[in-house]
Amino acid sequence: MQDNKAQPVISVRNLRMGYGTHILLEEASFDVHRQEILVILGGSGSGKSSLMKNLIGLYVPMAGDILIDGDSLVRAGADERARLQRKLGVMYQSGAMFGSLNVLENVRFPLDRFTNLTLEERNLTARMALRAVEMGQAEALMPAELSGGMLKRAGIARAMALGCDILLLDEPSAGLDPITAANVDQMILSLRMNLNLTFVVVTHELQSIFGIADRAIMLDPESRRIIADDAPTALRDHSADARVRRFFNREPDAIWAQLSR
Amino acid sequence: MDRCALGNHSRLCVPCGAPDRLGGLNVEEHLVAATAEDVRVVLEGRITAYTAAAIWQSAFETLANNPDRPIMVDASRLQYVDNVGIALLFDLGRQERRPGAEIRLLALAPNLAAVLRRYEPKDFATRASTRTHVGVLEELGRATSGQLLYLKELTRFLRRCIGALRVTRSRPHSVNWGDVLDVATETGANAVPIVLLMGFLMGVIIAFEVGLVARQFGAVIFVVNGVGVAILRELGGLMTAIVLAGRTGAAFAAQIGTQKVNEELNAICTFGLDPIEFLVLPRLLAALLVVPLLATLADIAGLVGGALVMTTFNISFLQFYTRLLSAVTAGDFALGVLKAAVFGLTIAAVGCHRGLQTGAGATSVGLSATSAVVTSIVLIIVIDGLFAVLTS
Repeated sequence: MQDNKAQPVISVRNLRMGYGTHILLEEASFDVHRQEILVILGGSGSGKSSLMKNLIGLYVPMAGDILIDGDSLVRAGADERARLQRKLGVMYQSGAMFGSLNVLENVRFPLDRFTNLTLEERNLTARMALRAVEMGQAEALMPAELSGGMLKRAGIARAMALGCDILLLDEPSAGLDPITAANVDQMILSLRMNLNLTFVVVTHELQSIFGIADRAIMLDPESRRIIADDAPTALRDHSADARVRRFFNREPDAIWAQLSR
Repeated sequence: MDRCALGNHSRLCVPCGAPDRLGGLNVEEHLVAATAEDVRVVLEGRITAYTAAAIWQSAFETLANNPDRPIMVDASRLQYVDNVGIALLFDLGRQERRPGAEIRLLALAPNLAAVLRRYEPKDFATRASTRTHVGVLEELGRATSGQLLYLKELTRFLRRCIGALRVTRSRPHSVNWGDVLDVATETGANAVPIVLLMGFLMGVIIAFEVGLVARQFGAVIFVVNGVGVAILRELGGLMTAIVLAGRTGAAFAAQIGTQKVNEELNAICTFGLDPIEFLVLPRLLAALLVVPLLATLADIAGLVGGALVMTTFNISFLQFYTRLLSAVTAGDFALGVLKAAVFGLTIAAVGCHRGLQTGAGATSVGLSATSAVVTSIVLIIVIDGLFAVLTS
């Protein structure tokens, strides 16, 4: 996997996105490199999740282009788009498990659809993916019986089941207890190290960001631009932008600082 | 000399995610130097979800063909392995073989070895759980007991609803009449066109079918009696109720079911509000209010349709009108409207109850909506039968 490191796995070029007349982000350009863990940051409503939905081809950007391994997702036809999308494993905020299938069947679902492995081979692969996220005991449960953290972990197992080497995770550790959240972080690091996976993670858990991220980009809803793109520690300590430093140092708005004095 | 290897032609290092990944890789056996005692299996290139099936199959064929000889799996030429490939390596490594015929994984990259070490064969010894299938008899028993339980719950729910309705009479200001009006608009006013159309067609069809038979006996004038009684006593209310069961009962169940799935019901409860009073009561009142009105509209449309058809049988509007007045009484109309009110209450109660019973997830909302329609139609017909017996 040493070769082709130069070519980014995801490349965003002059992206403009939004809903109707409401623009969330303009002139956004950034690259995700192989085996990198990129974190997308921003306050609530800054368009983090929308940006991720653009990256995975669920929304069509208003302008600009998104390249997956050098192929345009925006200009792709339906078949090509589906092929590109299958390269991406996605975990949605709520897990998005199919309610009519149990956990094992959920994780096996992409294998059932897109491979010609036998049932036993698919079962073994899916069970190993579940074991990797410490969900081995829950394979027979229905999604309705799972807690929020379990749903997220099952979502990660399903995202990686098809051997996708680019995983996009929408708030993987939000709402988890600190131990489970730390486990999810470790899992991401170990998957990156051992399976050479690339991660795009939407999160605003500071601990998690410093723990896993190689690079962070930060969206700003007011200027509608990417206002930061660097290693998280560099942003915390040396960013020229006060908003970025405040985010990383968890500083409240000035009014609250005065009131609490 | 049995020699065997697995692999693929692509000696080039293919970047993962490159276009050829979906095409699959050719796997063929080719000769690799090996000793007579052990069998060497060479894994080459990329093993991914899309290419693993063939490799997996030929690897296990090799294993099956050589039950007594040790197998050396050479992983030194692997370029890329995804998690399906890891499952394959793990599956090879965990095979139980005769003594002296073990499988050894050689030259595995340290990161892959680290991944494989995390899995214990015993953890996967149990069979993957499959759905258990129940026999016909058990299914029948479960369904019957489920229905009986449901009837019991529905009775209890109806008792609570009646209790809530009583509260309305003593404390009318406790009801959110704005909600009642909203639901009444959606359930009643918006359903007027479909109810009118249905009533009109019903009148037309009955008058025409009965008229054709009656003409043979010269009894066309009596068709007016038949149409009048049938529509006013039975069909106006019944058909309106069936349309509303599909239209409104399902909507109530889906709305309340989704609210339950989204934990809105829990939020209502934590505010100390009673979901019955807050969600169910407005719907019950609205249905009680609008279903008799809709049934009246269906009655009128049905009679108009019948009268129109009767003109083709040489019965004028005036004749129809005078005959109708002598054939039906205000009691017939009142009975029809009373039944419609009971049907309306039934539809709303069943719809809300099914909604409140919703489990978790999208599937259960769908099930609630379906069973709301089916249950209310069955109950409507049963109640109609009871009315027929009681008023005969």
